[in-house]
Amino acid sequence: MVDFDLHAALFHEASPTSAMTVLAPGASLGVTPVEGLRVGVGWEADIVSGATESVKAGRLALDPDIVSAASIDDTRHVFTGNLAVERGPATLAVGYGQASESDYRSRSITVSASTDLLQRNTQLALAYARGFDEVCDRANPVTRDPTVRLPLDTSDGCFTEAPERAVRDVALDTLQVGWTQSWTPVFVTQLVFSGGLQHGFLGNPYRSVVIGAGGQTAQEHHPENRARGAVAGRGRYWFRDLDLAVGVGGRAYRDTWDLLSGSYELEAEHYLAPWLRVGARARYYHQTGTLFFSDDYTGGEPVLGPRGQYWTGDRELSPLHSYLVGAKLVGAWKGGAGRRVGSLFTQLRTVVAVDFVDTRLEQFTWAGREPDDGLAILTTVGLSGGF
Amino acid sequence: MAEANVLHRYRTFAWSAAALIAVLTSGCATVRPEQRAALADPAMQFEAEGGEDESLQHALENREGAWGGGSVKGGGCGCN
Repeated sequence: MVDFDLHAALFHEASPTSAMTVLAPGASLGVTPVEGLRVGVGWEADIVSGATESVKAGRLALDPDIVSAASIDDTRHVFTGNLAVERGPATLAVGYGQASESDYRSRSITVSASTDLLQRNTQLALAYARGFDEVCDRANPVTRDPTVRLPLDTSDGCFTEAPERAVRDVALDTLQVGWTQSWTPVFVTQLVFSGGLQHGFLGNPYRSVVIGAGGQTAQEHHPENRARGAVAGRGRYWFRDLDLAVGVGGRAYRDTWDLLSGSYELEAEHYLAPWLRVGARARYYHQTGTLFFSDDYTGGEPVLGPRGQYWTGDRELSPLHSYLVGAKLVGAWKGGAGRRVGSLFTQLRTVVAVDFVDTRLEQFTWAGREPDDGLAILTTVGLSGGF
Repeated sequence: MAEANVLHRYRTFAWSAAALIAVLTSGCATVRPEQRAALADPAMQFEAEGGEDESLQHALENREGAWGGGSVKGGGCGCN
């Protein structure tokens, strides 16, 4: 038994000044050499091209042109391998992943276990992942005061012996517990708790922030520890007469940087034909800013002023909310006893999905100007099957 | 001291969650195997589309400060 999955996603943020395009192809292959054992390998890539602001200034900036767009062209490859053993209702799996790009490297291990209970009405899952990541940075002496540290200007020389380059470690621990419960023949719910610890260099080495009224800049400076927790709940109900599945979900999140967020999702899928279904989804997301976020660290008072010993130019750490709407079309074919799809596959599935995300930044500005890259489109295509 | 309090709160939460699950699921095999046709349908599966759902989650996580509640994964930054 062999199963495969091929997919590609195209993410695009249109903007006259800060457009971003990411093409993300991926492929995976799984083999079941003997009953109860599955071996899988996978590959994914992120091919990034676009522009991002390398200097963050706030609305008090004397020179609005200080916010400059730096071009990005980079490719990230991720290779994964995993092994799963299934005995009765229980599955134990281990996995390894390795990712590399010009300025970032990562290795991760994952261990997970799951089991079905009570005539498969209850599924419990537990997973732990440990990441050993490395970020390329400019070789600022560690004793140099953060207020005078310089940002990384280019990835040239990264992960070599070049004296002007340094490597900063990032350790990532993630624990997840999931509980899926079938309540009736048409109603199922899932509860997931995620906890994560991050330790190390957690900023963007390329970005600097205006921290002085005279225009002085310094490399973005984030705390070195972050503990994160999220609880998500979701449910699905099947309307028999309509051939319609409706799902709702929500997630609450908080971390030790005092970022709080909530998201709410609504999803529906309907069969147009036994092999063809159409789906639609909508999502609302909102978050507060981190405790140390300020749009301008020069003003003396929050929101326009320093907030403690850290500073950031990361818009994802600022107060924001976003809306997502999307649709997908799924075609699925299954073979039967002695009958294969296309004379080859035991099953085949193809999907096309389009999602629009509109992000509204509530405080973050480019030197007082509202960013113009809040609208993004994600297009995904996929083909999977088994033979 | 503060760390001990946090640890104590996490332990309390974990035991409470385990107790809640045990109470809610004890003796309640509510759906018999022959009744599972709708539940087994791909439209009723959470994250049934595999790689496509992961692409969306990856894109959202790189544009938001929050994280979690989905599948556990590792494998680098990709966060430009």
